[in-house]
Amino acid sequence: MSRKITAARVRRNVIVGVLVALLLIFTLFPAYWMISSAFDPNAASGARGLIPAEFTLDHFIYVLNDGGFAVFLRNSLLVAVAVVLCSAVLSLLASVAVARFRFKFRTSMLLMILIVQMVPMEALVIPLFVQVRDLHLLNTLLGLIIVYVTISLPFGIWMLRGFVAAVPVELEEAAFLDGASWWRMFRSVLLPLVMPGLVATSVFSFITAWNEFIFAMTMLGGASEKYTVAIGLKQFFGENSNDWGSIMAASTLITLPVMIFFIIVQGKLSSGLVAGAVKG
Amino acid sequence: MTTTIQSPAAVGTSRSAAAGGPGPRRRRAITIAAARPWLLLAPALIVLAVLLLWPLVRVLIFSLQDYGLREIVSGDTNFIGVDNYVEALTDPQLWSVVLPNTVIFAVLAVVCTVVLGTLVAILMTNLSALWRTVVGSAIMVAWAMPAVTGTYVWVWIFDADNGIVNQLLMGAGLMDEPFNWFTNRWSFYLIVLINVVHHGFPFVAITVMAGLLGVSKEMLEAAQMDGAGPIRRFFQITFPSLKQVFTVVIILSTIWDFKVFGQVYLMPGGSGTNRSVLNLGVWSYVESFGQNRYGFGSAIAVLLTLVLLVITIIYIRVLMKEDEL
Repeated sequence: MSRKITAARVRRNVIVGVLVALLLIFTLFPAYWMISSAFDPNAASGARGLIPAEFTLDHFIYVLNDGGFAVFLRNSLLVAVAVVLCSAVLSLLASVAVARFRFKFRTSMLLMILIVQMVPMEALVIPLFVQVRDLHLLNTLLGLIIVYVTISLPFGIWMLRGFVAAVPVELEEAAFLDGASWWRMFRSVLLPLVMPGLVATSVFSFITAWNEFIFAMTMLGGASEKYTVAIGLKQFFGENSNDWGSIMAASTLITLPVMIFFIIVQGKLSSGLVAGAVKG
Repeated sequence: MTTTIQSPAAVGTSRSAAAGGPGPRRRRAITIAAARPWLLLAPALIVLAVLLLWPLVRVLIFSLQDYGLREIVSGDTNFIGVDNYVEALTDPQLWSVVLPNTVIFAVLAVVCTVVLGTLVAILMTNLSALWRTVVGSAIMVAWAMPAVTGTYVWVWIFDADNGIVNQLLMGAGLMDEPFNWFTNRWSFYLIVLINVVHHGFPFVAITVMAGLLGVSKEMLEAAQMDGAGPIRRFFQITFPSLKQVFTVVIILSTIWDFKVFGQVYLMPGGSGTNRSVLNLGVWSYVESFGQNRYGFGSAIAVLLTLVLLVITIIYIRVLMKEDEL
């Protein structure tokens, strides 16, 4: 009897082990292939083995110096930080309004925000291009920042309202009874308690700004010194052959910081996401 | 002070009322309290109205015009009624290429993403804490890879000349010469599918796993005692209690997979040169910015929006039934 159980357990462990191994290969192989190609001197010239025979930093040096990627990284960082700050403030204020106050048109406004979130970017590219042009902000980072704040706002409001609603009203009332002003209560009671949610939404607006492609391509098309990292990659593609060593080195520079960050905050991220998406 | 406290707004009202006495002061305090949510909402609403709602109205207006490069420069209007819609809907390309590419791909991608994500979530709940962290981190890596760089990596993996897939297949003797995966419509979308599933399943896995951890252990054990196998236990206990989680996950994935753009546009031939791989989003973009037919492109974008709006309405109805807003 006990031998039978042990045999079944061993078989189960083997099956689970094989599944985990397959899963790890599927999830990690593209990242491995990107990073290893970035260091492989043979990546640019063509054929390479599964494991690089030699290591080189040449691709990175080329990409950062001659490819202008240092500038693109700076542009992207500037845009992403500005977007995070603006959309954090705007979506926090708005989410307090919809989570804490009952007022006319509240439900219809929430519905509108939800619907707006579903509108495809492709539908907005054309009018936003015209809009940004009319504001004389084409080929500027400011134009792009405004656009990204707009597209990350609905998601931020929708997600943060769950966190604001989770803060017990009694705490706020206690602060008022102690004679605190509304602003004082907001700063010292509400803000610290919704911080985890604010961090999670900020991560998502950062990622939106860091990765976004279609608006950047359309609105910065005429000024290559203003490129963000996502569109800066395009220049390593040639008419007939692609400089895969440089493409993979630049891709590694873009992706690796995000990956490391995701792994560090994975617990917070997933709980924040679930709180926003499911409890909503 | 003995007032019944209901909400911060009510507290604010009663406090200023008590301080200022009855009459016009009190009325003013009520007005301020009523205005407060709108003051908080104002900045976000202004931004959304100027840069989301107005553009949405504008895309409708453009779609009724012959809006080309001349009009975009001069600002003139040139209304042609529903001609753009008629042209889009009577274009054989829509029915034979664009719509099948969009819809079949979205259905396949949603099914694969949700099934794989769910299986991974179940697998993860069966792992020790250490291995759960390892698998969780690997999933985060797949998730964190931006769509743009992810697409380039898959293009490099399937590259016609030096890609690892062609080399492995030739090395194994399964192929004699390199195959160009990107010229054939089916193999093109197979790569898009792998790319989108790889990027999209982590969200499903993490969300479903969080849900799974909340499923009653007692009920599962009781069912096991009664002799229910793992598959029956999943469909009779786990799935019903996670229904809301699955609804959210499936509908969000549907919306994302209908809108796939970069993953198609950035692949060889995906930016309009190979018309057999167009989908609704890319078609709209290519007509607008490639052909300078912004009116026609807008009409296609409106059609895509309508499809997604129908899905959104279903989403809201399901959400509203489970939990009032």
